[in-house]
Amino acid sequence: MSAISVSTVTKRFPNGFLALKGVDTEIAPGSFTVVLGPSGAGKSTLLRLLNGLETPTGGEVLIGGEKVDRHRLRDIRTKVAMVFQQFNLVDRLSVMTNVLTGRLAHRSWVGSVFYLFRQEDMAIAQEALARVGLTDKAWNRADKLSGGQQQRVGIARALAQRPKVILADEPVASLDPVASEEIMTLLREICDRDGITVVVNLHQVELARRFADRIIGMNAGRIVFDGSPAQMTQSVLRTIYRREGYADDNSLELALAYA
Amino acid sequence: MTTVSNWRWPTPNGLPPLPLVGTALGLCVVLWLTAPVVEVDFVRLFGSIGRMADFAGQMFAAPDWQYLPQLMTKMLETIEMTVLGTAIAILFSIPLGVLAASNATPHPLVYRATRDLLSLMRALPELVWALVFVSAVGLGPLPGVMALAFVTVGFMGKFFAESIEVVDPKAIEGVRAHGAGWLQVRLFAMLPQALPDFVGTVLYILDHNLRAAAILGLVGAGGIGYDLVMAMRLFQYDRLMLIALSIYLIVTMLDRASDQLRSRIIHGGRR
Repeated sequence: MSAISVSTVTKRFPNGFLALKGVDTEIAPGSFTVVLGPSGAGKSTLLRLLNGLETPTGGEVLIGGEKVDRHRLRDIRTKVAMVFQQFNLVDRLSVMTNVLTGRLAHRSWVGSVFYLFRQEDMAIAQEALARVGLTDKAWNRADKLSGGQQQRVGIARALAQRPKVILADEPVASLDPVASEEIMTLLREICDRDGITVVVNLHQVELARRFADRIIGMNAGRIVFDGSPAQMTQSVLRTIYRREGYADDNSLELALAYA
Repeated sequence: MTTVSNWRWPTPNGLPPLPLVGTALGLCVVLWLTAPVVEVDFVRLFGSIGRMADFAGQMFAAPDWQYLPQLMTKMLETIEMTVLGTAIAILFSIPLGVLAASNATPHPLVYRATRDLLSLMRALPELVWALVFVSAVGLGPLPGVMALAFVTVGFMGKFFAESIEVVDPKAIEGVRAHGAGWLQVRLFAMLPQALPDFVGTVLYILDHNLRAAAILGLVGAGGIGYDLVMAMRLFQYDRLMLIALSIYLIVTMLDRASDQLRSRIIHGGRR
């Protein structure tokens, strides 16, 4: 059974914009998938649908065979973690508390009222921090860390959830090349060692080639390519990044020449 | 001449924006029309300068040191009323603030109802509520504390709600995406981020409440207010000065302390 199954999903936003025009795909458990595409192609919307942060207008999304449904979001989200471009940490809380919020889905509100966590949750959070190499920063405030470190806290929070799937929405878009490399290596390692299914949205074609098992190319709300990195030729890239209304797109040719 | 005609406002046609000019003109007209209604009369104002100077001069009588022990007791009572009233108000304001914040409320109707309740609570000043509570529970500091807490919830709940509404939605999404429940999102994403604003509000309100508590004695609701009014009525300027000075002193001390506390909380004092 596939980890993620998306069937004929459409998404129209309240302002009338049709972000997804019927997307079908299956993602195998334990695989590392990168979604490429120009800004506005619907990559983020697709990822957010998988976590229930958006609801599809048509079609359905299954995670491990269970439908992502507005009434069962908490249950779905215990299995699907998310890593964000802007990290989305709670700046004023300690790194440790941020990682512990990854455990909230598994616990009722009773202890949360007093900010209390169980011993086993603390252990899981410690272990997650050790995985991302931030044990010594555990009690720093989250906003005192560098961008790369904050993203590692984001990944630790995702790990603390003990998910089956990790979704990463442009996780390296606000990071320098070295930190980007670290984050991608970390995500790849999590996929290989824990068998967690990873889906990453990227703008960097080169990173996609190096880290992905499979690349999905999107353009204007549709999947226009689906294959291995080796199958992604220059002409495929031209299809993925093609822009409407540009007969002879010089910028596109120049950008792809170095991709 | 060319230099003057060179000035431009940053608008497409270089002229000042019409809504701004209209508002300014409208305000001027309103002021001009309403000034006579509240009897702003400059002739009368200048005529009474002599009397004001006389009153101010009387304030500099030799202080009545005999009064000092009673003053201290009454000031302490005023401070206790302030702190207690504010503390009780915080307890009620946090949940009410969550219900009255558009991004945290469970339902738009709850939001509307809570907002209306809060504006009802602050519709009348402390003094009026104190009168109500004095007739309900009798004279003394207790009705004063109740009146303070009541009106403070009205203000604080609204301020808290507004601090929650401007919280960064990215962190809320981050916590929500990991499956946190309704209450957990509010506790772990919204409240920590609104905390510096909360602290600012509480410190401001403490300042305000101290001054409010200082006049509640006027209606028999405890504190320094009764002595203050009596000193004025009986022309005991030797006492009046001491009272005014001690209120000023405590407000200033509170202000200093609050500056310190605020910067520690905003910049994260502990490392």
